[in-house]
Parts: sequence; C-alpha cells; structure tokens
Amino acid sequence: MKSPFAYQPRPRPLQLASPGAAVAYLGAIVAVAFLYSNPLVLLAAGAAAVTAGLLAGARRAVWFALKMGLALALLIVVVNALVVDRGATVVARLGEWPLLGRVDVTFEALVAGLSSGLRAAVTMVAAAVYSACVDPDRVLRVLRPLARRSALTATLVSRLVPVAAADAARLRDAGRLRGPAAAPVGKAPLARRLLAGSLDRAVDVAATLELRGYSLDAPPARNRRSRSRYDRRFYAVAAFGLIAATAARALGADDFQTYPTVEIGLGGATLALSGLVALSGLAPLRRKQNRRSPSADGTKVPLYGGKSSRRRAVVDRSGEVARV
Amino acid sequence: MAVVSALLCATLATAGCGLGPGADVGDVRLTVTREYGAVPVLDTAVEAKESDTVMRVLEGEADISTRYGGGFVHSIDGVAEGQRGGDPYDWFFYVDGVESQIGAAEYDVAGGERIWWDYRNWSATDHVPAVVGSWPAPFSDGIGGRRYPVVVECEGGEGACGEAREALEREGVKVASGEPEKALRILVGPWAQVRHDPAARAIEAGPAESGIFADFISASPREPSNSEHSRGLAKSFELVALDQGGEVAESLGPNAGLVAATSRYGGLPAWVVTGGTAAAVGEAAHAFDAEHLRDHYAVAIDRGKTVPLPLEER
Repeated sequence: MKSPFAYQPRPRPLQLASPGAAVAYLGAIVAVAFLYSNPLVLLAAGAAAVTAGLLAGARRAVWFALKMGLALALLIVVVNALVVDRGATVVARLGEWPLLGRVDVTFEALVAGLSSGLRAAVTMVAAAVYSACVDPDRVLRVLRPLARRSALTATLVSRLVPVAAADAARLRDAGRLRGPAAAPVGKAPLARRLLAGSLDRAVDVAATLELRGYSLDAPPARNRRSRSRYDRRFYAVAAFGLIAATAARALGADDFQTYPTVEIGLGGATLALSGLVALSGLAPLRRKQNRRSPSADGTKVPLYGGKSSRRRAVVDRSGEVARV
Repeated sequence: MAVVSALLCATLATAGCGLGPGADVGDVRLTVTREYGAVPVLDTAVEAKESDTVMRVLEGEADISTRYGGGFVHSIDGVAEGQRGGDPYDWFFYVDGVESQIGAAEYDVAGGERIWWDYRNWSATDHVPAVVGSWPAPFSDGIGGRRYPVVVECEGGEGACGEAREALEREGVKVASGEPEKALRILVGPWAQVRHDPAARAIEAGPAESGIFADFISASPREPSNSEHSRGLAKSFELVALDQGGEVAESLGPNAGLVAATSRYGGLPAWVVTGGTAAAVGEAAHAFDAEHLRDHYAVAIDRGKTVPLPLEER
C-alpha cells in the first residue's frame, strides 16, 4: 500500500502549480506558525493547512499528519508540564522525581506546551500536504541547475527507497509462502538479502546512467514547463499572508504570555489575522468549470513537461485534466 | 480495589503529591524596593503554600512580567529592567539577606523566609552576595529554612562584641561558642584587626569583589612597627562611603562605623561590625537592630546617624 504522504498527481490547483508557488504558499503557513505563539493564530494556521490539504485531495495525508501531529503535541504538553515548573497556577504536585527534582504541574506550563505542540502539528500537516501534493521530480528539476549531482542523488534515493521497500515486502511474502511449518525468516537474513539486492541494483543503475551519458555535461534545458495559471494565486496568498502576519505582529497581534500567568490576547489585530490565515487555506479551491470544450481555442497544455516527459497527463488551459 | 486505591492515595499524599498548590507552610515576608532599598514599593506578609517559589510569591502580590520562559523577572509593577541615565538597572532578589545562586522560579519557599526584591543600578557590580537589610535574618531562621550556628568573632571590639551578642539574643538567636564549621560569622572589631579576615578584606578590593559600597583608607602615613603593633597602636583607618557607581562619594572619617555583609566564593555570609576606631565599632554595634538595618544593603554610622550605603549619586 502506498504511503499516505507519497505524491499523487491530481488535477487540483496545488498540484498543478509550480513547485515554487506551492512551497511559497505552504511555507507561508508554516512561517506564520513560527512567527506566532498565540494559540488562536496557531489554530488558524492549522485550519489553513488542513483545508489546503483537503482541497488538494490529500485527505489521507492530512488525516495521518493530524494524528501524528496531535500525538506529538500531546507529548510536548506532557514533557513541558513535567520539566517546566514555572508559572503561578499549580494544578498538581507530583512530589520528588529522580533527575527532575520537585515536579509541580502548572497551568502555564500546560498552555506553553500546547502552544509549542500546536506549532509542531501545523508544521507536520503542512509538510504532509507538501509531500502529497508537490511533485518531487519537479522540485528536483528546479534544484538541478543549483546542485546537479545532489539533485541526481536525491532523485535516485527517492526512486530506490520505495523499490527497496517493495523488495522487502516481496521477500517477506516469499518467506510466508513457504508454508506454516517453515521456520520464520529472521530480520538479519532478510536485511542481508535486501542489501545484496540493493547493491546489485545500484551497480545496474550506475551502468545505465553511464550508458545514457550522465557523466557528460548537462544537456541544455529543454521543454521548460510553462508557469501554471495558479502560480500567481499561491504567490499572492503567500505574500499577503506574510505581510499581514508581520504587520499584525507589529500591531501586537502576538499578545500571548504564558509565564508567570497565561494571558491570551484576543484583540482586533489577532482576530483579523486569525481569520485571514484561516481563509488562506482556501487558496487551492477550484473554480467550477463549465462542461464544454476543453478550451476556447482547443489548445492542450502538457501537465508535466513536453515530449520528454514520462507522464502523459494533459490538461487544458483551465487546469482540468483533458487526457492521461 | 478500594484498599489499593486508598493505599495509593496515601502514598502519593505522603510523597507530597496532590492537586492544587498544597497546604500552608507559614508566612514569608515580601519586600520590594528600588534604589538599594531607598524607595519602598511593597512590604507585606504572604501565606506561603507547599508548592510556592520566590517567583510565585512575588507574582501573587505584584504585577510582574517575565522573560526567558518565566525564569527571569523583567518588570515589577511596570518598572522594567533596562538603561537609566546610561546605567544598567535590573531586579535582584535576596532570601534571608543572601543573594540566591538559583533563579526565583526555582527557589522553593519553606516558610519563614524574608524575600527582598530590589531594583538597582548594577554598573559597579551585579553581584552583591549578602545584605544586612533583612535583619534579623539570616541569624534568626537560617537561610532558606536551613539553620546554621551563629558565631560572634571578637577582633578587638570587646564592648561592641557584647552589644552585638545582646542584639542577637534579643532576636532569639543563640550565639554559639567556639569555632563551629559552616557558621554564620559576625566579625566585630576595628578595621585594622578585622581586615585580616579573608572575607572581610574583600571590602578593600571594592564592591565588585565584596558587594559592599564602602572602603577603608589608611589614616596614618605608614605601617606600624612591630612594637607599636604589640602596644595596640595599629594602623588607623577612615571609612569611605561609595556611590552606586562604586566611586568614592564621601569620607566619613575614622569615627564612623560600618555594618555590612559579604561572602567569599559563594560561602555563608560573614557580617562585619567595624570602624576605624574602637569608638566607631561601638557605634556600629549600637546600630545592630532592625531600626537601623532594615532594607539597606549596608550602613555606615556617622555621629549616631545611619547612612545607608551606597550613597546616592550626586
């Protein structure tokens, strides 16, 4: 079964946008989460990341990331409550603990932990949406001019790790198919076999790369993909979100104090920014299309590149998939 | 099951566990001042709870803001750390007259302490290890709930020593005899004798070393000979008061006494009751009470008048 965080091409604005635009958009949500500690703003950033993921069709990725993020948030809350005994409102006294000394759980430490946990959860959801919605090949293609060898290495790793995982699954299946009476396959022999197979495959890959001339200079860039019609939207939302967050911070929107007592600012600037950040999650929303011919002039635009692209999905100028 | 639950609850309760801040442990005295105690801000008795720290006690009585994750007091009642007239100002706290080695949020209160927060100029030193302003602490109840033997070390100030002992006994302090280890020491005598004690001698190195804004300068042009020394004609000294910047502000003369506290290498505080002459020591010993010492870092006694140290900058 495919990982919920694995990229899946979908005819949605976030997937169709260029990697730069998608990264800017999701990065802006994460940046807001790091700029602010106010739980209200963090919740808004979380809502934006979740909404963006759902609108991009990455429901499973969002669900898994939420589960993991909230579990991590809970862990951060518990650890912070045990380690930090600052704050005026003592909720519980847990006596003397080895290494920690006297442990007093304070309401302020719980809230501070919650704020940090929320930030971690927002980051995890945004990262999951990125992973599920942004084509890693296109990201690597963008990075290739900057670091050719690193981009090639990353491409190979991103290809070979799933292949190795599939190999492991096949080996386990083979082991089970020997029948119930057969001795169980140990982890060490399985790992040895997997390593040997990976090394064989690595040699094959190296030979193939050499035959294809990867050791020569990079060929001139061809078939550069034209910008997506959604790029401007995502760049605009990212820029607007960051400017609004910076301006609101200057106006005191991050009015949040955990120690010595909890004070959560709910002023106009905070509420306005929270609303804006939450609304930014709607950026990947598709406009409803009329069911008519793909485009006025009938021109098709390749989705992933030109003739050299291995994928064959084609979209029309409105961004809808016309042919795969 | 019920028995197990009851046993578990009893064990947790015995181990100091429970909900809320816990039971009362006694009163603590909370004092907040500015400018080395010159400007009183708050003075109150607070009923401390089991889980209270110095920070929680302060937070309960004053409007404070903190930094560095709640471990550092940034402002009290709107008076915040920062620069004033080019000098750095900050909030410092003392428990039972001793500068804490740990932060206010980590300092557990046991009940009976005297907590003193002071907002002061620390351009001369950010380390004043002990102060006299919490009298009769630390002699009456120890430091942070731990009691130590109290010793009066007479260094030539016989009459003044008796007066110091009586002052301590009036506060219910039992003065120990001999030289017990880890004792709170009070050195009583003329500076010519007291200065031979390593802790007291730090005064001559300035406030950065001793935390005391006073100095003794030689009033005689030369060191006494051995015969002069043996006849009691030791070198004479004059008390000099320093200002908040650590600069000489006023010479108080040989007849001015000094009551101050210091400590060496983070050890227990040592108090000095001294002066340039025996008469000055007597004056200092006479001021060994709350009326003269309360809320001062150190005091000089000049012609019967209490002069809080450091002097305000002119």
